[in-house]
Amino acid sequence: MKRKSFIRNAALAAAGSMVVPYILPSGRLFAATGARKVNHVVFCLFAGGVRNIESMQKADGNLMPNTLLGNESISSDIIGGMTSLPAPVSNRLQSQGTLFKKFQYASGPTGHYNGHITAITGNYSDEAIKLKEPPKYPTIFEYYRKHNSPSTSALNAWWVSDSLGPYPYLNYSAYDGYGPLYGANAIQPLSLLANSNTILNNPLTVSNTEKAKCDLLREFANGQFKTPAAIMSNSIKNSADDAENLDAYLRQLMFETANGTHTNQWGAGMNGDSYNLYFASEIIKKYQPELMVVNMQGVDVAHFEFTKYVDNMRKADYALARLWQTIQSTPGMANDTVLIVAPEHGRNLQPNSVIDTYGRYALDHTNDEMTREIFCLIAGPPSAVKQNQVFSEARGESVDIVPTIAHLLGFKTEVPTGMMQGRVLNEALV
Amino acid sequence: MKNLLIIPLICLLALSACKDEKRYIYEVEEQEIYQSANEKQNLKTTTQFISIAYNDLFGSNITTQQLQQFDVALQSFGDKNIIQEMIVKNLINRGGTQIPSDNAMRGDLPAFVEQTYLRIYNRKPNEFEAWKLKDMIEKNADITAKLVYYSLMTSEEYKYY
Repeated sequence: MKRKSFIRNAALAAAGSMVVPYILPSGRLFAATGARKVNHVVFCLFAGGVRNIESMQKADGNLMPNTLLGNESISSDIIGGMTSLPAPVSNRLQSQGTLFKKFQYASGPTGHYNGHITAITGNYSDEAIKLKEPPKYPTIFEYYRKHNSPSTSALNAWWVSDSLGPYPYLNYSAYDGYGPLYGANAIQPLSLLANSNTILNNPLTVSNTEKAKCDLLREFANGQFKTPAAIMSNSIKNSADDAENLDAYLRQLMFETANGTHTNQWGAGMNGDSYNLYFASEIIKKYQPELMVVNMQGVDVAHFEFTKYVDNMRKADYALARLWQTIQSTPGMANDTVLIVAPEHGRNLQPNSVIDTYGRYALDHTNDEMTREIFCLIAGPPSAVKQNQVFSEARGESVDIVPTIAHLLGFKTEVPTGMMQGRVLNEALV
Repeated sequence: MKNLLIIPLICLLALSACKDEKRYIYEVEEQEIYQSANEKQNLKTTTQFISIAYNDLFGSNITTQQLQQFDVALQSFGDKNIIQEMIVKNLINRGGTQIPSDNAMRGDLPAFVEQTYLRIYNRKPNEFEAWKLKDMIEKNADITAKLVYYSLMTSEEYKYY
């Protein structure tokens, strides 16, 4: 063989050996190019509107003792309104990561819906509240499921919302090329599980043989019907196997919830937030999802009862610690998960006129400067997240969370340029 | 003589003039019009799905309380197909449905297929559908009427109107 031919053939062989492994089952030529920092991200919207005066500045004591370092005692005038909770954990979340004490929700109405949209899409929302419409831009779930290669099962992405209303609609957008095909398994656990056992506890039993025949009947019927292309589905779709798995799991949870198995598992006085994070923990144990977003809402009682708002911050903090404990004791997720915690927006500097039994005035959230100041904690293994680091100056914005998650899970570079307003919070990452 | 001819003629004319006029009324023969599968372009809302399913199975309206309970369950989970299937399975398994017995189904399969399509899809099956469904039921002795209802009520077409 001539030297020239040898060099040409060797070069072609080398190029082929480099390219072939990247021709993926999904038909795409290349896998996501970014290396993963971790394999799991849990984003907890410490939501309902938390004011930094109570959280970061600790004006009434350390109300988040499982999250924040420090043992400042709670103000004596409201101590009577506090629920008894277990002692804080020794290894606090703050020491396991980076805390942005003056994170910004820089633009858009300071409402729960807009704040959630911003946090979940990585784009500020100036839109009026449209309670039953999907967001304008793709959500983190859509980015994750569309741009991961090979594409991931919906069992790997969960949106656990604390209430119905607009929140289930934050699962996927109407953005061209995205949509329900890439949505997460969204669940509102309390609504689904608390009452469903009475209406869904006596299903028609279908044996495997019968199921196979029903599948044939349905397949035939489906073959005769052309699904209208112009209509966006109102549902994500799990694979047949995943759907069967989920059906059995949901019925098990419904049954267990009805017979009290899940009642007060994290102690007496569990509120909606506690249960939401509790069931998120159950899902983590069952499926070890790669991406989970879970929210809380209890602190929004601040519109009417300041002291209860403070107490609900403590409950949310405790529930967060339990969620982190579950992650760290779940094989596959322990030491391979980054937890991001941030409120969707803050609350007003000036109180409203509603006074509670402890003489404290209530707080709204109507776009003043204080409502735009929040915090963000990024905790995780030392291999991925800088430990025990605090930024006290204004740094980072709500829109930075989605690109940071995309970066952590290795698909940021796959997302078309300009889709997300924010940046990766590299200063928190190793 | 001339008068003798004129008089009967006048009488004849008078008689014929008094004869009742025949009236003809034209009208269109009544035809039942059904929606075709291709016309179904709208996705049922969660409450539409539940209330229509209930009505199809029981022939009556669901109570507000039950509708709300099912609707909350349906709204609380992202994969509607899973919850819709749970709802259909539970409704079918309740007493009091209007699903024909298995004997009645097998006693007159063509009628069962047509009535089932009318009730569930709000249309008649085309010839191929009628033959195929009848054939599948005939060849599978363990397919019950409930299973046919379950299969069709969890099909794609049932999600649209």
